[in-house]
Amino acid sequence: MFKVRLFFLATAFFVAGGTSFAQDAVIGYVKTVQGDAAIVVGGKAIKAEPATPVQIGNVLKTGKAGSMGVTFKDNTIMSLGPDTEITVDEYLFAPGKGDLKLSASMTKGSLNYVSGIIAKLKPEAISLKTPTGTIGVRGTHFLTKVEAEQ
Amino acid sequence: MGYALRRASLAMIVLGLAGCANRSYVVLLSNDDGTTGKVLVSGRGGATLLEKHHEGAAIGGPTGKTFIVSEDKIAKDFGAAMAARPKKPSIFLLYFETGDTRLTPESKADIPKILEEVNNRPAPDISIIGHTDTVGSDDENLALGLMRARLVAERIGTTKIGDRVSVGSHGEKNLLQPTPDNTAEPRNRRAEVTVR
Repeated sequence: MFKVRLFFLATAFFVAGGTSFAQDAVIGYVKTVQGDAAIVVGGKAIKAEPATPVQIGNVLKTGKAGSMGVTFKDNTIMSLGPDTEITVDEYLFAPGKGDLKLSASMTKGSLNYVSGIIAKLKPEAISLKTPTGTIGVRGTHFLTKVEAEQ
Repeated sequence: MGYALRRASLAMIVLGLAGCANRSYVVLLSNDDGTTGKVLVSGRGGATLLEKHHEGAAIGGPTGKTFIVSEDKIAKDFGAAMAARPKKPSIFLLYFETGDTRLTPESKADIPKILEEVNNRPAPDISIIGHTDTVGSDDENLALGLMRARLVAERIGTTKIGDRVSVGSHGEKNLLQPTPDNTAEPRNRRAEVTVR
């Protein structure tokens, strides 16, 4: 798992090329928070607040009465209801080079998804994995509820 | 039995069946502009396409089986997630004088509108991409685009945004108005500002 994350980070740096690394590794920001919500970075939960950055490999997580909204660099919006967990596995947004990808895994909870520029330019590059199947997006707005595997 | 009622009870049966095996499901909603996209739900058995507002499918459910999800169920299952939705990003285009980083007078007058949008958001971040027309070389234009983007960043940078700014350039590679090489075109000399 650690190796995989390292690989994705390396990819993000490579694609960004040149300018400030720290800034380019950020793929989105937390915009709204209610109650308990965290960004899990390398297994460590950081309390989510508006302006908390999100990077590849991070887990978006809300507690029993929590909710949180994140806006990504390509204008994709994900807002999570209570008791939700979503990992951002891959994210590439370099339209000039045709590097576009957004893949995430949702293990439980509820999600409101509003697609952004990646879905417009390359819809097949988006996938949301759940324990029982995968959701592909063709430029749109949807909701999904995932029951955790027992 | 009325059509709507029949349809509703059918939906309930389908929902009930899906509920036995797995309660994970997807619902498609219309976009803000009134159009409706598509969602493809793939499981072990195959794939189900959703194409209508409020049309739902169980994730990992029977292939091709869809149902209509009621407003009540949507509110119950997704009320909190929907309420947490951040404000939609706003996009502004600013235009420049030829071969220069000077904004046109009209675009200069648009700067306060961008600042207002920034101030109306709780934790704003901005992206600025500079563009040029096709006068000059690719390399020169890539550099000019970046200078334009940086200039705009300076003009709208506030403590409220902090370091949540990203600047880039597409040079002459992303024309708003397609032209041959070495063509002066005011619509292509621009910076695109996204406020999130």
